[in-house]
Amino acid sequence: MPPWSDFEPFIVSGLALGGVYALSGVGLVVLYRATGVLYLAFGAVGAMGALIAWSLMQAGAPGWLSWLVCVAFAAAVTLGYGVVFGPALAARGPLIKAVATIGLTLILYGAMDLLWTTSGGEARSITLPTDNGGFSIGQIQVNWTQVIALAAGVVITAATGAFLRYTKLGTAMRAMANDREITATLGVPVRRVEAAAWLGCGVLAGVAGLLLADLVALDATTLTFLVISSLAAVLIARLRSIALAFAAAIAVGLLHDLLTPITSLTNYRDMTPFVIAAVGLLVLSRHQVLAQSREES
Amino acid sequence: MRADRTQLIRWGVVAALVLFVLFGFPAFLSLYYVDAMTQVAIYSMVALALGILVGRVGLVSLGQVAVLAIGAWVAARLLFATTQPYPLVLLEAGLITMVAGTLIGLPALRLRGLYLALITLMLAGAITVVLATVNFPNGGHGFLGYNGGLIHIPPIRRPSVAAGDPAYFRYSVIVAVLMFLLVLAHIRTRPGRAWAAIRQSEPAALAAGINTWLYKLWAFALASFITGVAGGVLAGAVHYLYSIGFPTQDSITLLAVVLMGGAYSLWGAVVAALLYQFLPALLNNWGVSADWLIILFGLGVVQVLTTAPAGLADQVPRDLARLGRLLMRLRGDTG
Repeated sequence: MPPWSDFEPFIVSGLALGGVYALSGVGLVVLYRATGVLYLAFGAVGAMGALIAWSLMQAGAPGWLSWLVCVAFAAAVTLGYGVVFGPALAARGPLIKAVATIGLTLILYGAMDLLWTTSGGEARSITLPTDNGGFSIGQIQVNWTQVIALAAGVVITAATGAFLRYTKLGTAMRAMANDREITATLGVPVRRVEAAAWLGCGVLAGVAGLLLADLVALDATTLTFLVISSLAAVLIARLRSIALAFAAAIAVGLLHDLLTPITSLTNYRDMTPFVIAAVGLLVLSRHQVLAQSREES
Repeated sequence: MRADRTQLIRWGVVAALVLFVLFGFPAFLSLYYVDAMTQVAIYSMVALALGILVGRVGLVSLGQVAVLAIGAWVAARLLFATTQPYPLVLLEAGLITMVAGTLIGLPALRLRGLYLALITLMLAGAITVVLATVNFPNGGHGFLGYNGGLIHIPPIRRPSVAAGDPAYFRYSVIVAVLMFLLVLAHIRTRPGRAWAAIRQSEPAALAAGINTWLYKLWAFALASFITGVAGGVLAGAVHYLYSIGFPTQDSITLLAVVLMGGAYSLWGAVVAALLYQFLPALLNNWGVSADWLIILFGLGVVQVLTTAPAGLADQVPRDLARLGRLLMRLRGDTG
């Protein structure tokens, strides 16, 4: 077991990573509850947004414009998919809806590989200006990007919780999570509420893509499939509770990075989200009953 | 009587097709395409196994490539460690993979639908990470059989009757045909009917006295067995195995092509394997990037799910028949 001081820097990076997972998790849960779609292309749209931002910066565009374009791209693609294919698949089960977003993932993934080839071996990276500033707690260096990542996770979770609880749109989303047909009968503009959820999820995908491109790596494959780590958190929350998704996301991020200095386990640290999700799901599903509610069938 | 004759004709056509593939392909095709068709034969087994789960029982697995990797690993280890005949190794690889797959599937079977799909994705991710650390056997000693310091890595052996590429292609096709017959035997009998009932409605199947737990597990075991055998054939086909060859995202692409090919039909598995292994070889030969194929698969999934749930194996013959009727009518009008 290495000394405690070896772990300290990984607490900071783990919390930052957990913050971004939490942000992604909240976006996924809100969209799932409002539309019944588990958006597996979350990582891919963020990755493509980040790559577009990188290209813009290479071409000399100012940083803030590139970041805006990244978020706008992710939001536009997500909203577009939701508006075009959402209604067509609305009557199908959650599994079919989720698998359809795998289609979108593959389209984006193929396009990214085609447009930003990796064969040259050049490593791309996005550095946000917040990487340079920072402060230190004791011996540990903390940069502002890490602070922003964790803060964004906390703020988005709290704000989304309040939004669902207190606003009219949020209440409509919660109602649709229970029953889409009845909600429509009550006069809620179902399509518009769904579009709002898609847009919100897309914005979060763009933000998460940008932050992960800085914190982890700007690489199409890595970013596209990093969504699986957020999915682990979302699964433990059983696709319902954003508070639980937040806690699980922080746990996944923290545990993943804390395993890094332990030599015997460091090769296996990428298993963290899978193991946490598998164990969590199996424990949570102990008392499952056969009678399915409509949303689970 | 009439139904018997149609059956007979159908079997005759299939047998002729298999014979043509066995003897015609190696004669006409270049070695490059023979190798590609060997991969098609192997992946048609993998697609067949996934098709049982998705199409027959309604269980979506996003981790089938990890199961294939387990099968390949076990077969490679056995081939290095023993001098057993190849068919015996294939059988053992299938059985060991079956046990492993069933052990993994046992707890997962309590979940259903979306949760089951995601937990298989998680388990596949975990297996991929373990494989990346453990590595495939390369002729080293010990349980894992990996020696990072080896300079001359021995190739994984093939059966003595099928050492060359055309012979190994025939060998793979015969194994694949046997697997298809195994599945056909299941579908035509009791398990097939039980699976169909479970796919329609699990509570109804339970009420009809079907042991849903047993038959779901059976489907998992059969799919793992077939995928394990496919892994064994793959080990001999490529000679050298690397963990980088079995990424988690391949399981996702595999599901996409199985859905495109058609999960409800056995022919769908062949179509899926052609899409998955033959098209890339073709595009590579033409100098077109394989990324276009990934985009095509993505579009295909969305298209299949929104307009043609039974996939290409169902849609193309139906649309061709429709086109034929239209042409007949047009001819009738003018004549």
